[in-house]
Amino acid sequence: MSAHNRGTELDLSWISKIQVNHPAVLRRAEQIQARRTVKKEWQAAWLLKAVTFIDLTTLSGDDTSSNIQRLCYKAKYPIREDLLKALNMHDKGITTAAVCVYPARVCDAVKALKAAGCNIPVASVATGFPAGQTHLKTRLEEIRLAVEDGATEIDVVINRSLVLTGQWEGSDFIKTSTGKETVNATFPVAIVMLRAIRDFFWKTGNKIGFKPAGGIRSAKDSLAWLSLVKEELGDEWLKPELFRIGASTLLSDIERQIYHHVTGRYAAYHDLPMS
Amino acid sequence: MAATRAGPRAREIFTSLEYGPVPESHACALAWLDTQDRCLGHYVNGKWLKPEHRNSVPCQDPITGENLASCLQAQAEDVAAAVEAARMAFRSWSVHPGVVRAQHLTRLAKVIQKHQRLLWTLESLVTGRAVREVRDGDVQLAQQLLHYHAIQASTQEEALAGWEPMGVIGLILPPTFSFLEMMWRICPALAVGCTVVALVPPASPTPLLLAQLSGELGPFPGILNVISGSASLVPVLASQPGIQKVAFCGALEGGLRLLIQESVWDEAMRRLQERMGRLRSGRGLDGAVDMGARGAAACDLVQRFVREAQSQGAQVLQAGDVPSERPFYPPTLVSNLPPASPSKGSSSVPWPVVVASPFRTAKEALLVANGTPRGGSASVWSERLGQALELGYGLQVGTVWINAHGLRDPSVPTGGCKESGCSWHGGPDGLYEYLRPSGTPARLSCLSKNLNYDTFGLAVPSTLPAGPEIGPSPAPPYGLFIGGRFQAPGARSSKPIRDSSGNLHGYVAEGGAKDIRGAVEAAHQAFPGWAGQSPGARAALLWALAAALERRKSTLASRLERQGVELKAAEAEVELSARRLRAWGARVQAQGHTLQVAGLRGPVLRLREPLGVLAVVCPDEWPLLAFVSLLAPALAYGNTVVTVPSAACPLLALEVCQDMATLFPAGLANVVTGDRDHLTRCLALHQDVQAMWYFGSAQGSQFVEWASAGNLKPVWASRGCPRAWDQEAEGAGPELGLRAARTKALWLPMGD
Repeated sequence: MSAHNRGTELDLSWISKIQVNHPAVLRRAEQIQARRTVKKEWQAAWLLKAVTFIDLTTLSGDDTSSNIQRLCYKAKYPIREDLLKALNMHDKGITTAAVCVYPARVCDAVKALKAAGCNIPVASVATGFPAGQTHLKTRLEEIRLAVEDGATEIDVVINRSLVLTGQWEGSDFIKTSTGKETVNATFPVAIVMLRAIRDFFWKTGNKIGFKPAGGIRSAKDSLAWLSLVKEELGDEWLKPELFRIGASTLLSDIERQIYHHVTGRYAAYHDLPMS
Repeated sequence: MAATRAGPRAREIFTSLEYGPVPESHACALAWLDTQDRCLGHYVNGKWLKPEHRNSVPCQDPITGENLASCLQAQAEDVAAAVEAARMAFRSWSVHPGVVRAQHLTRLAKVIQKHQRLLWTLESLVTGRAVREVRDGDVQLAQQLLHYHAIQASTQEEALAGWEPMGVIGLILPPTFSFLEMMWRICPALAVGCTVVALVPPASPTPLLLAQLSGELGPFPGILNVISGSASLVPVLASQPGIQKVAFCGALEGGLRLLIQESVWDEAMRRLQERMGRLRSGRGLDGAVDMGARGAAACDLVQRFVREAQSQGAQVLQAGDVPSERPFYPPTLVSNLPPASPSKGSSSVPWPVVVASPFRTAKEALLVANGTPRGGSASVWSERLGQALELGYGLQVGTVWINAHGLRDPSVPTGGCKESGCSWHGGPDGLYEYLRPSGTPARLSCLSKNLNYDTFGLAVPSTLPAGPEIGPSPAPPYGLFIGGRFQAPGARSSKPIRDSSGNLHGYVAEGGAKDIRGAVEAAHQAFPGWAGQSPGARAALLWALAAALERRKSTLASRLERQGVELKAAEAEVELSARRLRAWGARVQAQGHTLQVAGLRGPVLRLREPLGVLAVVCPDEWPLLAFVSLLAPALAYGNTVVTVPSAACPLLALEVCQDMATLFPAGLANVVTGDRDHLTRCLALHQDVQAMWYFGSAQGSQFVEWASAGNLKPVWASRGCPRAWDQEAEGAGPELGLRAARTKALWLPMGD
């Protein structure tokens, strides 16, 4: 991530003046999904673009070096080479935006990516993920250790008790949720967050990134997220520095859709490599 | 196809992240046109009607100009055939139980569901509207309308007892309309038992398709007949014997006026421009466009409007992703239009233009918003609930959305006031449009050719002294009751009133145009105060008048006696009059209600609002009872009135005025005596009278209806039919309550 949030004076009156018209947000959320579909080559190109926004994620208790290795390989080669060739996209260097793992697996990921010979960044959920209910001291230590191991991006769980009492923290990216909640990335919530990003940009000139996470599983979903960002913030936000999709199974569905676009057939499970 | 952009390959799209075309196949629409050999006739009595030797008009794709089909233009005999079919169908359709009609409407909804792709592609193809709008909006709402009205039909016998269907309805649709506008009108008409002949403009295939779907359902083929033809057929349709009502809808405008408070002007304009920049326009059959195009004529219209605005120094901002060729036109934001410029004065803004103007206070916004002849719908955007509701109540329109726009639901009445017309679609109000109280005589559609609109009621016959005043009663009150006191008439002359034996009963003032002007002014001054009173306060005043009437009983009864009423009956008339005042006072307190709508969290308030200044011309008969029976509902609903009392004996009304003078605020009720035709003329031609009730001759009714078209005020005219004022149904029935107020739907979406 290049530019950092240079920050601004904390002005709580700004936050207290924010009004959200809930019914209107719901209607807008409905509209965007219905009005902005892409088909054919446009769909294929958009899906490949979506791949480059994915933080390919595994956050399981039983993660080991072997599945991390497989994940990293998939991050480097997200779409079968012959499919990319058919689309004349094999030389575009399409990889996912990052891999995202628990702090204890950062070492494995860095090693695997190095072995694969690529510079995909490793992101780590640090700071007492997913609840964030640990001491500040241990959370800071967790970040330090993850960075030491080679993580270049940290998804921080903010202390929500501080937020609820009006004590805010700054960041370069905001994320819809940890992906571990019962309700995660929803369109209405995203619209509110994207408008907040736009307002902040208009006011301070700082561009803050956006990362929806959790529940984004289908290729169709990912297209809707792209058009949502395009509609609300514009094309300048459609780059990995400002937009990520946190997902684990999304990639395989995208690959299946690309397969279908290229071959005209629906893929069998064994046609595509697992991640 | 003009709208298709050249397709870049995946590589370029990967970099540009452009949207691409999402064409919706319209093969089924073309296949349907092929079933008619690309020649559409009319759909009458369940069959296609393709008479020979008719002109035909091409139906074109508004975007490519491609000829899709040719449409035969009806002639008078085709109209007559359609009306005859509808009349025959009415005989069986109207006598079937409501549940049978309900089943039929439900079946029609299902047929639409089964053929919805055909419906939406055809509609989008021929109108150029965005297919998404038709598919997700209109087609779904059309089915909901049928379901809602099926339910209303099934409960008709209980819920609408005392009302009967009018008969054959003539429906006239404007050149630019969506088939949904037709559905809003035919659903309630069919539900209550009416049958319909719709005259649609040349080259409108969708209504024909709907008629076909309905006709092929079996046992009632003639309930919906569609003929297409030019506007010259409108009078032909309206004058067909058997047509009981003509419903029409004006051309739909798509442009908007936007009022933005100065303090948030810059911010709001910035956001508006930002959002406009992301709008996409293109061929209607593209699934990913926000706006289609409406053809060359609409394009010319908007170009003229924008050029004129520019020449007057307005700022014009155009944005969005729009194909550069005709007939596409980008969404346009016009601001800084000088206040007195002609394009602002002409109240219609063409699609797709938004004219934004700033305002300082909410009060000012209300004045500006109400200062147009239109009264359709408006939305209010504010996070201040109190202020939003204040505006919502104050706006003179039929529908107000708070923090939302354009929502519609079959159970919520949609209508308007002022020049947007006074008819209602949807909800309970929509049903009454096609009903009349049981036993009301049918409408005769022939108009008198002898009536000269230029001279009707123009001259007042001169009156001379008419002999000695004889009789027991004390001297009657004299003067015109205007602004709370008795005034001498402008003409300074009087009119003799004779009793039943031909003796002079007394003189009444001879009112004229200036007196009417003064009375309407007084009524307008009293209106805001009276309309702002709670129903309870209004009821209290009506009850006070009732008590005063009872105190004055002997005088009133003796005056009635002189007019030939027996004492017993005269006393009964006074008592009944007092009861009427009390009854309306009580009824009006249980007005308005809350609707719950599918897909909306929050209520929709159905408000009953006063019309404004109501002109009432009383019948000759029942000089006291009819006067009071009309006055009571009018006042109870918050109107102020200008009344012309019984011409035969206005003295009764003047007696009541003596009590109104002490009880009522000045100007609330004004009574002008004089020549009935002359006063009728003055009232009907007054542009600032908001509604008129006329109980008199057929000729007078015809004049009132003609003259009232000037400001499209709602008219209730008796057409020379007598009314049983002493009967509950005709003297105090729900019809009076319906006529005395108008509905407003106030949408209040909730959200945290």
